[in-house]
Amino acid sequence: MSISVKKDKSTQEDIKMSNENFITLLVVCVAIGVFLFASLLVPNFFQFQNMVNLVTNNWAVISLGVGVTFLLVSGNFDLSVGGIVALSGVLAVWFAQSIDGANALSSGGGLPTYLAMLFALAGAMAIGGLNALFVVRLKIPSIIVTLGTMMVARGIAQVITHGSQRNTNLPDDFGLLGNLTLFGTTIKLPVVLMLSLVLVAVFLERKTVFGRLTYWIGSNPVASKLSGIDSSRHQTYLYLFSAAIAGVVGILLASEFKSGFSNRGMLMEFDALVIALLGGIAIAGGFGSVIGMFFGAIILAVVTSAATGLVLSPDWQFILKAIAVFLAITTQTWALARRNR
Amino acid sequence: MTFQSHLASFLRNYYIYLVLIGVVLLLSVANLDRFDFFERGNFLNQKNIINILRVSAPILTLAGAFTLLMVSGYIDLSVGSAMSLSAVVYAMLVINGMPFLPAFGITILVGMLLGIINGFLVVRLKITPVIATLITLSLYKGIALLLVQDGVSAIKSGGGLKMPAWFNSYGRSGILLGLPMAFWVAVLVTIILIVIQNRTLLGKYAAATGGNPTAAKLSGVNTGKVVISLYVIVGITAALAGIARSSFMSLGDPLSGDGMELTAILVVLLGGTAFSGGEGKVLRSFVGALIIMALTVGMLTLVPAYYQTLVIGGTLLAAAASNHLVSRKAAS
Repeated sequence: MSISVKKDKSTQEDIKMSNENFITLLVVCVAIGVFLFASLLVPNFFQFQNMVNLVTNNWAVISLGVGVTFLLVSGNFDLSVGGIVALSGVLAVWFAQSIDGANALSSGGGLPTYLAMLFALAGAMAIGGLNALFVVRLKIPSIIVTLGTMMVARGIAQVITHGSQRNTNLPDDFGLLGNLTLFGTTIKLPVVLMLSLVLVAVFLERKTVFGRLTYWIGSNPVASKLSGIDSSRHQTYLYLFSAAIAGVVGILLASEFKSGFSNRGMLMEFDALVIALLGGIAIAGGFGSVIGMFFGAIILAVVTSAATGLVLSPDWQFILKAIAVFLAITTQTWALARRNR
Repeated sequence: MTFQSHLASFLRNYYIYLVLIGVVLLLSVANLDRFDFFERGNFLNQKNIINILRVSAPILTLAGAFTLLMVSGYIDLSVGSAMSLSAVVYAMLVINGMPFLPAFGITILVGMLLGIINGFLVVRLKITPVIATLITLSLYKGIALLLVQDGVSAIKSGGGLKMPAWFNSYGRSGILLGLPMAFWVAVLVTIILIVIQNRTLLGKYAAATGGNPTAAKLSGVNTGKVVISLYVIVGITAALAGIARSSFMSLGDPLSGDGMELTAILVVLLGGTAFSGGEGKVLRSFVGALIIMALTVGMLTLVPAYYQTLVIGGTLLAAAASNHLVSRKAAS
């Protein structure tokens, strides 16, 4: 789907693609190349079901990647998303547990499921608001702030679950949303939500004022300010947007497993950042696309699942990630420099 | 100068010591209904203080070098992984029969190498420091995990190999005032770094690089060389921290340094180093490290352990915010 959109664009702007489309195309080609290469090495890798799995198994990280990508494009980090995933899941479970549990960990707010989930989402967005307050109003570097809020969010989740998890005394309909399959297929609702989120994000990024403003703010903060763009408000929206996505992901995961686990989403913030970097999003801001991030996620998924297929120990994933990001960054820099020579 | 401006500059220079005294006082009166002031169980008990200082050796070793790096406007997110990797390497060397000094020396060389790799990525390949050290965070952690064989969580006695009895004395047994070698090495490193910061060209160049990189370059400072040296110093201290942690726990745990980069950032921010570079003092970060360790260890007597993440995260935000407010006051 996304590939065909890509091709339409490059034929429309016939003479010369923008640098951004060039890099996105490069990422898509690399993703396909890596997949074909892995198919040669790993037996049974080249199967339709495996291709589907590469996307569906990573719905959570790809969804988080959308918010992180928008923020990176505007020139900001968001490392708090992993903590927010844990927090919103734990909050949803806590609010939904009935009041009359046997001990502290099995009794909660006794709210109906939909209200519990709404309040949990509000809690997640409060962390996004905190990010915005510190980054936008107090102008503290976003990497420090979001590392802090990541710990605060996970810390609150740990206090609520006493460092472990809450999974008893939940209403039956709590597990509905995360396990819902659609149209008689095995595709789950979260996956469909992720795909629609990616499509909406691509539309937002290319066709709306909101999306273009994000690029202007990221590529030249001073000029965008002088042209009268309210960049503080815009960045606040972006942080709330990212926190809301992370909140929904956390609630869906909690619903899927019918538990609120304080260690859920651990290191997801780094994976979301890694797939954005693999997808060609520049850390300096103003450059990159959601499609690139999507295929960056495919690259990471292929690399890690191929490593598992080759019966490497799971410990290899850290080294593979490091090498993948290093190669992605150096080749992208090299390709751009060569192209614009 | 009016009284207020005197007071303001006094607070700016010495607030960190006041915070330390405040935290210590708070923790020592918190349990007074149950214990006497210097009694076992209370915070200001000799055993407790020695214990806290022993546990703090790794972060105390790291704090100074990390400050110099941040003063120059750079950051190293890989310190935690470098520390884990050094801990694993050191434990492996010792368990295979190497005596203390050679194992110590080789581990420090490994730390230097890790620092050189960071410096190379940042200075020669011009990768943004955050990304470059994120790459090496993953890389070093992966190597540390792979060095430990499958199915075992850490390098420790077992499978025909036995950790020698002297292994944990570096991190545990007191040699002076009841404090172990690892703590005194941390103090020595801090003193050397204070001298480097105040008395040598490297210290001046680090501040110049952080304050205004272009101006520093134009005045003939080889900023690339300065930055690589600082990464190497951080690598060495990470190795020392790894040795301290490994001998304190008597094992080479590939996850023992996880989260150390956060603690290091927190400690340096608490010490009043501006994140944008150019300003900061080694000694203040040392005191910042004491505060954090007193807080995290002392807190355990008051609240359950699962409050720790929240308190550290909250302190990080508070330190960043107060830092920002203070530096804005100073600028205006």
